[in-house]
Amino acid sequence: MEPTLLFNVSMLITMTIIITPMLLPLLSKKLQNSPTTITHTVKTAFLTSLVPTMLFMHSGMESIISHWEWKFIMNFKIPLSLKMDQYSTMFLPIALFVTWSILQFATWYMASEPYITKFFSYLLMFMIAMLTLTIANNMFLLFIGWEGVGIMSFLLIGWWQGRAEANTAALQAVLYNRIGDIGLILSMAWLASSMNTWEIQQTFSTTQTPTLPLLGLILAATGKSAQFGLHPWLPAAMEGPTPVSALLHSSTMVVAGIFLLIRTHPLLANNQTALSLCLSLGALSTLFAATCALTQNDIKKIIAFSTSSQLGLMMVTIGLNLPQLAFLHISTHAFFKAMLFLCSGSIIHNLNGGQDIRKMGCLQKMLPTTTSCLTIGNLALMGTPFLAGFYSKDLIIEKLNTSYLNTWALFLTLLATTFTATYSLGMTLLVQTGYTRMITMPSMNENNPTITNPITRLALGSIMAGLLITSYITPTKTPPMTMPTLTKTAAIIITMLGIILALELANTTHTLTQPKQNTYLNFSSTLGYFNYLTHRLSSMKLLNNGQKIASHLIDLSWYKKMGPEGLADLQLMAAKTSTTLHTGLIKTYLGTFALSILIIMLST
Amino acid sequence: VGQPEMAAYLTHQQKVLRLYKKSLRHLESWCIYRDKYRYFACLLRERFDKNKDVKDMVKATELLKAGEEEFWANQHPQPYIFPDSPGGTSYERYECYKIPEWCLDYWHPSEKAMYPDYFAKREQWKKLQRESWDKEIKQLEEETPADGPKTEALPPARKEGHLPPLWWQYVTRPREIPM
Repeated sequence: MEPTLLFNVSMLITMTIIITPMLLPLLSKKLQNSPTTITHTVKTAFLTSLVPTMLFMHSGMESIISHWEWKFIMNFKIPLSLKMDQYSTMFLPIALFVTWSILQFATWYMASEPYITKFFSYLLMFMIAMLTLTIANNMFLLFIGWEGVGIMSFLLIGWWQGRAEANTAALQAVLYNRIGDIGLILSMAWLASSMNTWEIQQTFSTTQTPTLPLLGLILAATGKSAQFGLHPWLPAAMEGPTPVSALLHSSTMVVAGIFLLIRTHPLLANNQTALSLCLSLGALSTLFAATCALTQNDIKKIIAFSTSSQLGLMMVTIGLNLPQLAFLHISTHAFFKAMLFLCSGSIIHNLNGGQDIRKMGCLQKMLPTTTSCLTIGNLALMGTPFLAGFYSKDLIIEKLNTSYLNTWALFLTLLATTFTATYSLGMTLLVQTGYTRMITMPSMNENNPTITNPITRLALGSIMAGLLITSYITPTKTPPMTMPTLTKTAAIIITMLGIILALELANTTHTLTQPKQNTYLNFSSTLGYFNYLTHRLSSMKLLNNGQKIASHLIDLSWYKKMGPEGLADLQLMAAKTSTTLHTGLIKTYLGTFALSILIIMLST
Repeated sequence: VGQPEMAAYLTHQQKVLRLYKKSLRHLESWCIYRDKYRYFACLLRERFDKNKDVKDMVKATELLKAGEEEFWANQHPQPYIFPDSPGGTSYERYECYKIPEWCLDYWHPSEKAMYPDYFAKREQWKKLQRESWDKEIKQLEEETPADGPKTEALPPARKEGHLPPLWWQYVTRPREIPM
C-alpha cells in the first residue's frame, strides 16, 4: 500500500478508535462503556499509532492533512488541518502507551468508586483533547484542545467534590490556566491580524517577529506549564486521585505549554529577547520548585514539585533554541514521571491512604516490585548514565555549559539539578529503607497483575526510551562535539554532589539534636511564601479596585462631583463670597453709589 | 452523640494534657526516627512530670502559658496529620457519596423490592419518629437553661417509653466510608 495513504489513514484510525467509546453509548442503549473496554480501546489505539511512527522512523515521512474548512469569513481560512511531523508522530504512541498503563492501573486503584465509568470517560475525554492539541496544525484547533485539557483538569482534580481542598485546588487550576489563556488569545489575535492565517507552517518567516505576541505565547506556556509566577496550581492539583496526577499533571497536560512553544519555535528563534526570557523564567522555575521539594513530606507533592522543576528545565531548553531536545525531554520524562506516580499510588493504597513519608519505611521488603520501579524512576530522573533521563538531561546541561549565555541561568539550573538528586534520594531513603514507621499494619499486597504490569512496562520504557528515540531521530541542530572534561562531566559531578548532600542530611537526622525552625526551612516549607502573599493580595486588590471604579468613579464622581452636585457647589461658593456684600446697611449702599459715580467720572 | 461533647470551658488538667499531646505530635513530626523520638519524648515527659504537683493555680497557669509559647516557637510547619483527620489527605473525601436518608423515599418500587425487609420496617420507623418528635422538642425546651445551652451534649430520655431527643439524625447518619 502506498506509504502516504497508510500513514494518514492509520493516524486517522487512531483518533477514531479513541473517540469511539464516547460516541457508541449515545447511539445504542446496549453499548455501554466499562473500565476494561476503555482500557482495551486505548491499548488498540496505541498499537495503531505505532504504524505512523514506524513509517516516520523508516523514511522521515511527515504530512499535513487539511479537512473541512469552517467557512466563517471570506478572507480568513480556518481549515481543520492536522499535522504529523516528528513531534506528533513521536508523541502519539508515547502518550497512548502511558495512558494505557495508567488506565490499567486505575482499574485497581479506583475499584471501590461508585462512578468509576464516569472517571474513565473523563480520562478518555482528556486524552481526546490532548491528542487534538498535539496533532493540530491550526491554532484554532490547538486552542480547542488547550481549553479541553483545562476543563478536564478541573473536573478531574475536583473528582471528590465533597472535599473543600479539592474544590479550591480545581478552581486554582482553572484560574491560573485562564490567565495563561489570555496570552494565547492575544497571540492568536496578532497572528490573525498580521499573517492572516492560523496555520502554523504559514506563520514562519525569516524576519524577526515583534516581541509582544511572543510574550503572549510565553504567558500561555507559563500558565499551562506552571512556570514561576503561575505555578501554585500544580502542587495543589495533587488533591485529585493518583491516576489523574499521573496522567495530567506529569506526562501530558503540563507539557502542553512547552509543546506550544516547540510548535511555534521558528517565531521565537529570531527574537533574542523572547529566548532570554524563556531561559531566565525556566531557570527560576526549576530552582524554585527544586528548593520547595526539599522539605515536602507528602510523597505526591515531592513528585509534583519534581515535575515542576523538569518543566522549568524544558523551558530552559526552549530558551537555548533547542526545541527538539525539549521534545526529547518531554518524551523521556513522561515515562519515568508517570511510573513514579503509579508507584506512589500503589504505596498509598497499600497504606490505607497514608501519603506522608515520615510514616513509611522498609517498604523494600514489603512491596519489592513497586519500590524497585520507584528506584529506577528516581535514577532516571536524576540522569543516571544510560537510563532514559540521561539522554535528554545530560545533553541539555552540556549545551547550557557550552553556549554563550548568562551564567546566572546556568548556575540556577545546575543548583536545581543538585537538588533534584537530593530530594529524590531523600525520598527513596525515607520511603524504602530503614525500619518501618507505619502507624498500623495494613495488609499489603502488590501481587495483582493490574498493578505490576503497568509499572514494569513503564519501567522498561524508562530504561529503553531514551536510547530508542535518540537512535532513530536525526537531530536538526549539531550537538556540541568538543568541550573540556569538566564541562562534559558537569552533570554527573553535581548529581553526585546532590547524592552526597542527601546522605549527609540523612545522617544528621539520626543524630540526637532536636531540630528547630529556621529561615531556610520556613522558606521552603511555605513554598517561598508565594501562596500567602499573592492569593489574598491580588484578588482583594482586584475586587477592591473594581468596586471603587463601579461605585466611586462612576456613581460618586460622574453623577455627583462632575455633574449636578459639582455645579451646585461651584454656585454655592460664588454665592457665599458675594453675600458678604449684602449687608443691608444704607451706608454701604450709599458708598457703592458714590464709588460707581466716581469711577464713571474718572473714566469719562 | 457517641463522641465526647463540648462543654463551655476547659479544666486546667484538660489544657495541660492537650498541650502535652500537641507537643508530642509535633515532636513526632520533627524527629522522624522512632529511637530519636523516644529519647526526646522521654525528656519532654520528664519536664511535664517535674511540675505535676504544683498546687498554686497562679503558678500553674503561668507554667502553662510559658509552655504554650515554647510550643508555638518550636512547632513544625507541616505537622503530621492523620489522613482522616481535618486537614488530612482523605478528610471529607467521600462526603459527596453520603446521601441523606430522605432520598430513600424517592427510590423506584423495583429498587425498593431489592431490600424488602428494610423498607417493610421503614414505614413503622418513620411513624415512630413523627410521634416522638413533639415529645423530644418539649423535653429539650424544658431542660435547656434560660440563657442558652451550657454544653453540646444532648440529654437522655427521662420518662418511660420516651425516646432520646434528636435520635433520628443519629440513627440514620451515613457510614464513615460509604462504599
